[in-house]
Amino acid sequence: MYGKKASELVKEIASSEKGQLTPFSSDLFDEVIEECKQHYHELECLIRRMEDQGLNVETAKNEDHYGALIHHLSLVRNKRCLMAYLYNRAEILRTLMWKVGSVIPEEIKEKLSYSEKEYITKHSSSLKKYMSSVELDLEVDMVPPKDPYIKVRVLDDLGGDILLSDDKKANFTRHSMHFLKRTDAEQLISQGKMEELKD
Amino acid sequence: MDSRDGDGSTEDYETLIQTTDVELLKRAWRQEKAAPEILKFETDLITRLTGQIELVEENVEQDSQSGIDPLTVSLYQMDLDRTQFLLRSYLRIRLQKIEKYIFHILATAELYNRLSKQEKEFAKSCLVDLEKHLEESVLSKLPNNYQSIFKQSMISEENDMVAKPQLDTFVVCKTNDYLGHIQLEDNEDGSSDDRANQRPLEEPFEMETDVLYFVRYKAIKGFVEEGRIDLF
Repeated sequence: MYGKKASELVKEIASSEKGQLTPFSSDLFDEVIEECKQHYHELECLIRRMEDQGLNVETAKNEDHYGALIHHLSLVRNKRCLMAYLYNRAEILRTLMWKVGSVIPEEIKEKLSYSEKEYITKHSSSLKKYMSSVELDLEVDMVPPKDPYIKVRVLDDLGGDILLSDDKKANFTRHSMHFLKRTDAEQLISQGKMEELKD
Repeated sequence: MDSRDGDGSTEDYETLIQTTDVELLKRAWRQEKAAPEILKFETDLITRLTGQIELVEENVEQDSQSGIDPLTVSLYQMDLDRTQFLLRSYLRIRLQKIEKYIFHILATAELYNRLSKQEKEFAKSCLVDLEKHLEESVLSKLPNNYQSIFKQSMISEENDMVAKPQLDTFVVCKTNDYLGHIQLEDNEDGSSDDRANQRPLEEPFEMETDVLYFVRYKAIKGFVEEGRIDLF
C-alpha cells in the first residue's frame, strides 16, 4: 500500500515516550525515499504517455491523469512523513540539549544518524555563539533560585582545599553534608561532585 | 533590582514597585512564557537591566569584602540571583521559540523584526544548520520538483511545509483597563463584511478589569502586542 512505510516512521515518533529518542530507522527511512523515486518514475511515465497521445496534461482528465495524481499525492505524503520524522527528532534533540547541556551522552549519540550528529554539533555552536554575544551563560539557573544557601552532600572526596567565596575553607570529605552558598555549590553540583539535598 | 535608596513611605510605593525594571522584566517573562508566538524583544528594558545587574554584582562584591553584615549582603545576593534567573529564563524561552518556528519566523518579516540583534544572528545560523540537515537527509534525495523546504511540491501555491505556532490555543489573561467588543469568532476567512451570510456571532466579548479570563490567544493577540492585556 502506498504511504504505509512512511506512516510507520511517523508512528514511531508518535508512540515513543515523550522526549525519548529511538534509534534512527535508517533502513525504513531509505525504503521510503526509494518509494518516492518509484512514484516519480511512474508519474513521469504516465505524463509521457499522455503527451504521446497528444493530450493536454493540464486539462485532460483521463485515467492516466488520475493515476499520475495518485502518485503525486503519495510522494507528497511520503515527503511530509520523512520531514516530520526528522523535524520531530531534531526537536527532541534540542530539548535534550537544553536539559543536559551541549555534550550529548554516548548512549544517545548511538541512536542518531550521521546528519543528526552533525546537526547538533553545529546547533550547539550556534547557541554558544549567541551566549557569548549576550555575555550570559544560559545553561545555568535552569530552576528559579529559592534560597541563597542550599544543603549539599559531597559525592567525591574533594579534600579541604576548596576556597569558598567568603574566604573560608571547608573540609569536603566524601558523604559529608554542608550548608553552602548556592553560587559556590552550583558548579560542583553540575560536575557531579555534590548533590543537592532537598527536604 | 530595587534601587537601594528607594523610600517606601508613600502610598505610591505600590505603583513604584510595579514599575521597577525587575517587575517589568517579570511581566515580559510571563507574557513570553504564555504566548504561543514570539513577542517583541524588550530591547531597552534588557539593556537597562544588564547594566543594573553589573552594578549590583559589583556592590555585592564590595560589600562582602568590606565587612558589612553578611545577612544584608546575602539578601542583595538573593535579589540578584532571582533577577538573573528571570533574565536567563526570558532569553531561553525566546530561543526555544526561535528554534521551534525557525522557518516561519524567517519567512515572516513582522516576526523576524521582533528579534534582538543577537537573536537574528542566532536565527540565521539556526536556519542554515537545520536546512543542511534536512537537505542532506531527505530533500536532496527527492525528485527535482519536490525538493523545496517550504513547499510540499512545485505546484503548491503557498508555503505549506512550515510549522507555525498555534495561535488559537487558550491563554489565561487579565486586562488593566476595560475592553469592550472583542471579536471571539474567527472571521478572517470568508467575507467578513457580508454580514447577512455570517452565522450568528456570539455576543461581543467584554473584559472587565482585574478579572481572569480564559480565551483564545488569537482573539486578544492585538491587545497583548499593545501591552493592554497581561498573560499568565
